[in-house]
Amino acid sequence: MKKLWLAAVVLFCWASGSYAEDFLNVSGKLHLRGVVPLHSESVMEYPSLLGQLKVDTKPSPLRFHMWLEGGWDGSVTLPVEDHSTLKFGDRVYQSTTPFLEFKELYGSYSTDWLEVRAGIQRFAWGRLDEYPVNDLLNPWDYSQFLRKPLEDRKIGVPSLSTRLSHDTWSLDAVWVPVFIPYRLPLSTERWSPLNQMVSRFNNLPVNFLTSDADIPSRNLASGAGGLRLSKTGVVDWSVNLFHGYDPRPVLKATRLIIAPVAGQVAVEPGAVADFHKMSSFGLDAAFVKGPWSLRAEAAYAVGRYFNTNLERWGYPAVPAFGVYPLAPNEHKSDSLDYGIGADYRVFEDCLLTMQAQQTVILDRPDSLYQQKFETIFWANLRNGFLNQRIITNLNAAYNPEHGGVMARGNVSYVLSDYWKVGVTAVGFWGPEQSLFGRYKTNDQVEVDLVFSW
Amino acid sequence: MTDKRILLLLLAAFLLVPALADAMSGREIFEKMHEVRLRMLNQKTEATMVLYDRGGGKRIRTLTQYSKNAAPEAYKVLLIFNSPADLKNVGFLAHARTFSDRSLWAYFPEFKRIRRIPTSAQDDSFFGSDFSYDDFSGPPNLDDYAFKVLREETVDDRPCYVVEVSPKIPRKYSKYITWVVKNLWITAKVEFYREKELYRLGAFRDIRLVDGLPTPFTLEMQNVKSGHRTVVTVNKVSYRTSFPDELFTQRALERGGR
Repeated sequence: MKKLWLAAVVLFCWASGSYAEDFLNVSGKLHLRGVVPLHSESVMEYPSLLGQLKVDTKPSPLRFHMWLEGGWDGSVTLPVEDHSTLKFGDRVYQSTTPFLEFKELYGSYSTDWLEVRAGIQRFAWGRLDEYPVNDLLNPWDYSQFLRKPLEDRKIGVPSLSTRLSHDTWSLDAVWVPVFIPYRLPLSTERWSPLNQMVSRFNNLPVNFLTSDADIPSRNLASGAGGLRLSKTGVVDWSVNLFHGYDPRPVLKATRLIIAPVAGQVAVEPGAVADFHKMSSFGLDAAFVKGPWSLRAEAAYAVGRYFNTNLERWGYPAVPAFGVYPLAPNEHKSDSLDYGIGADYRVFEDCLLTMQAQQTVILDRPDSLYQQKFETIFWANLRNGFLNQRIITNLNAAYNPEHGGVMARGNVSYVLSDYWKVGVTAVGFWGPEQSLFGRYKTNDQVEVDLVFSW
Repeated sequence: MTDKRILLLLLAAFLLVPALADAMSGREIFEKMHEVRLRMLNQKTEATMVLYDRGGGKRIRTLTQYSKNAAPEAYKVLLIFNSPADLKNVGFLAHARTFSDRSLWAYFPEFKRIRRIPTSAQDDSFFGSDFSYDDFSGPPNLDDYAFKVLREETVDDRPCYVVEVSPKIPRKYSKYITWVVKNLWITAKVEFYREKELYRLGAFRDIRLVDGLPTPFTLEMQNVKSGHRTVVTVNKVSYRTSFPDELFTQRALERGGR
């Protein structure tokens, strides 16, 4: 079946080129990336060569859209058995290279007041950057978390969506009949959230084993759905409803196994991706006040799960061979997420974007690492020079409850309409379990060369 | 009064009328321009935009602009970039409730998000070009400006009124001087000033009549300070279009005008 998919992709790409002039709009991108880790103890990453192909049929009531990505992913450190080249949304760990993945693949039919889409889709609900709290329909790929921009993190979901429009009103309804899990990096990879635990074994020849998660069975009961009612005007606003599995990851502690296997130490950390249904009701709005472009959103979630402090999971302080049952590490609580963002043009070609958002865990026990109120401040300063031939981005994020910080600087130079080169440096600070501190060995400089057509 | 004197007075009056009619005020000239721009609102334009930097390097963009006279709203404009790849489907939408009150949105497909643009940004660079957002929007609200006819001059062999226009509301320029082609009522040349300093210089050439409407097919804007200039060449323009309101929605903006 998967070989048939691949054959169909190759055939389609060939056909796209042949008929592009008459029937299709085809564009694409080749992206060569190299990463220089700045910490000697951090996991290295090989260079990556990634491609992107977008195909759209010319405008008509019936339309086809495809966004295919693929290539060699240098962040993948181990070949994983039985993982296919074409990534399907059927596994939590899909670290494989080379790979192909449909970010989007859908057909649509539209009239003046109705649009129906069927296929693999990504949605963008809510108004905030980075963590739009009403944007819950697509699970995220955490395999290069915080390195990838928000839209690159989203995994396309097979879905049926409709939009009814009338005047300044619109109503979106989305049904995702098939469960698609979020994606995590393997525990030995650069962006693994378990890096701190892995580091305890750094001096030993350790082989980390990862058990794939117990994914909910694929039936209608495991699907998800959402409704969004929007109005545009002096204030653009929307009301959102979501019901389905929480797209944010939570790990269930089972048992830690440390055993000698073929002259090595095999370690199964016993932290398995877990999935829980939740419901969310939210509001978002955007408006302009003087020179400020403002946006805000809030969502109340019923039945979310949070992990307890890692220190309470039951991992031994000094690892030795054996089986260690781990303590229950999940806690269920309702939560309220809200935030506000603002854009301000400092001067021509210089845009300052700021955002503050907060999560309130309404029933928080002391066992959680997260505080009752968790805040993140984001700021981004984007500056263009020489008619936007040179673009700089300075980005900072701060989590005051734990003192976590992320700082990122990027410079890109547009060589021509096709070629662009960029350099990005990123650094993390904070305690080991904090959102940013858990990646503090991931300080890095990244160089990109992009060809797009 | 003798018959001869009456006849002489009538003759003098007859000769003076055209001269008086010709001495139009700045406001009257702009009312004429406003009428022409209103008639140009129902249109679709396909154009190529070339950005030249001081060193001679250039970047080429293609775009499609749709607009609509949207009474009782003033107008609606949708502009979509078709190329290069990093700008493809990036778009800009304007809804003018009145000629002085409008909402602006921009869409960035990479982020799949629409952002509102404050109207205070209307004089800012339009996607890195030397034109401004305002240059791609509809006609202005005449009550927001003061007009003064400076002189008459010829531009590209066309007789023009030279009019100084000063905004009564805060703008990023203090005044502009425009050369308005007589009888066609479109701009042939424009100079924008900050205080007394010239900072933007525009020229609108290759004026052709399309569906009876005078249309410049080459529009050039230069930033005098930086030396950058942008040339927009109209490849195809259609007037008297009647696009549905659905084309000027955020949904259409997200879909690249489709």
